[in-house]
Amino acid sequence: MRSKASLSVDSKASLSLGLVIMALSGWAVVSAFEWPWKAALFPLAIGIPMFLLAGAEVLWVILGSAHRGEAKDFQLSQHLPARVALRRTASVMAWTLGFFAAIVLLGFQIAVPLLVFLYLKAAGRESWKLSIVFTAVVWAIFYGLFDYLLHLPFPDGWIQTAIGIG
Amino acid sequence: MIDPLIQGLLLVLQWKALAFMLLGIGLGFWVGLLPGLGGATTLALMLPFIYTMQPAEAFAFLLGMHSVCATTGDITSVLFGVPGEATTAAVILDGHAMAKKGEAGRALGAALASSLVGALVGALALVLAIPIVRPLVLSFGSPELFMLAIVGLAFIASLSSQGARGMLRGFAAGALGLLLATVGQDPQAGVARFTLDTLYLWQGLDLVPVLVGMFAIPEIVDLAVRGTSIAGELPPGRLNKGAWEGVKDTFRHFGLTIRCSLIGTFIGIMPGLGGSVAQWMAYGHATQSAKNAEEQKGFGQGDVRGVLGPCAATNSKEGGALIPTIAFGVPGSTAMAILLGGFFLMGLVPGPDMLTTYLPITFSMAWTIVLANVITVVVSFLFLNRLAAITSVRGTLLIPVILVLVFIGSYTANSNYGDLVVTLVFGGIGYLMVLGGWPRAPFVLGLVLGKIVENYLYISMARYGSSWLTRPVVLVLFVVAVVVILYPLVQARRTAARRGAHA
Repeated sequence: MRSKASLSVDSKASLSLGLVIMALSGWAVVSAFEWPWKAALFPLAIGIPMFLLAGAEVLWVILGSAHRGEAKDFQLSQHLPARVALRRTASVMAWTLGFFAAIVLLGFQIAVPLLVFLYLKAAGRESWKLSIVFTAVVWAIFYGLFDYLLHLPFPDGWIQTAIGIG
Repeated sequence: MIDPLIQGLLLVLQWKALAFMLLGIGLGFWVGLLPGLGGATTLALMLPFIYTMQPAEAFAFLLGMHSVCATTGDITSVLFGVPGEATTAAVILDGHAMAKKGEAGRALGAALASSLVGALVGALALVLAIPIVRPLVLSFGSPELFMLAIVGLAFIASLSSQGARGMLRGFAAGALGLLLATVGQDPQAGVARFTLDTLYLWQGLDLVPVLVGMFAIPEIVDLAVRGTSIAGELPPGRLNKGAWEGVKDTFRHFGLTIRCSLIGTFIGIMPGLGGSVAQWMAYGHATQSAKNAEEQKGFGQGDVRGVLGPCAATNSKEGGALIPTIAFGVPGSTAMAILLGGFFLMGLVPGPDMLTTYLPITFSMAWTIVLANVITVVVSFLFLNRLAAITSVRGTLLIPVILVLVFIGSYTANSNYGDLVVTLVFGGIGYLMVLGGWPRAPFVLGLVLGKIVENYLYISMARYGSSWLTRPVVLVLFVVAVVVILYPLVQARRTAARRGAHA
């Protein structure tokens, strides 16, 4: 058995997934026991083998296996130093979460041009001219297509609603 | 048979029907390109506009729009790694990987050409199958349909990873998808399952925000980490040269394209399975076409066969799905259920009348599928080189645009902020899966099939008790599932033994 500190990044990811799936399936099975059989049949039929499969994967990681088990799926780029990759991953995830927060707080109409402009200037270090023109084009397409033509209902943000200007 | 077939063609070629079809194609072209905005949703939105049309015009409009959505959805999937439609997610695995290798043109050429072949096979199946399909559909009850879904899951779980451990992860991912499909109000007992006391989850997890998050977020992270364009540092001159090569690939692997088209048609015929299932089944079959373990490793890294299979199947399933809709009034998918509404708006009743009195209208639908796809492919080819060049645009310009598309795409599913949360959560899960080497395909198929599988299992148990397990077709399908699971393991052992003998 190897120590957790020696696990590679992919093993840690796999271990995390295995543990999450075990917790989810365990919760599903325990919850299903309280339901009538009509509602419980399928969650039990799936939850129990799922718990065992995830448990097997967790054991596989903890006991140590040289074989990673390649998925026929896209692979993340691995040519960069780990520290650089980690920093850029954290950065883009922060931008994604920030965009989500901006949408909720300010609404799509403001969040879309705000994100595009700030990303171009702060993360992309683009020129003022390109950032402004590109943002205007993206906003025009967003507004013209989704709002003006398709009439998709984009609500105001919580801030506008709270201060009564929505 | 020939006379109604020609009458059907003439109906579509009337100027008004042709004009409505072109209008539908134009709408479908853009709806397909936009992530999240589904073909079925647009069909529903357009339904009220057909009141004043003749039946042939109405179906030319609706089917013209619907049948090109999947084709152009493939373009978004290949170029950005964001599924243009829920039915085009499987294309991302190899199509976007090809784009990252500088082969966007080739991937798009292959996607469009195989889509056309698939659509033609589906339309042909519609024409030929009507007299013989009735006994086939009626012979499949809930137990058989349940086992068919299990075979599909076994297929994709066993083939989407290498080795016993990969298979274990595939089945765990598939089970996770099946379990998450039970979120929401249970249809049998009315119990709210795993809803976390939120109203949003009562209707279950919507496929669109889940797919958009699971496939787009890991791609965005990777694009940001690399700090380059989608195609990396490759010279721009190479990017747009391969479209014709992609067309040739379709004919190089013509057998595979036809087989996947037939898989799509068959899945289309089966009520309730739909295009989301067809693409993954076809992808599973495409990976099976690899001659050895080395070739199998190429899938997910940009093997053109991983593009040809799903594209052909997704487009061929339309013709297949029309068969039970027209012949028995049993819609094969959500979109077909909406189209069924179109039948009633036009005063047509699906069933024997559509195969006798209104046979020319039935055939006009097959012609619409053929013509709409031919026109879309020709128009797309005119813009293909420009579209492929998008992969050479630097990442800092693309990332904010893709993020905007991701959030708008997922929000349009239900117009609820909960969709955005779902996208973020499944973006995180998708990233962990990619990082840990877990296959995402079985998870998605599990999620797509979950509700149907549960329904079939419940009906089978309630109607037959445990005796449904001994029905002949169920037993045959069970054996097929076992073979599908064991075959890759036996093949891997044989390869290892052969290597040992050579060493």
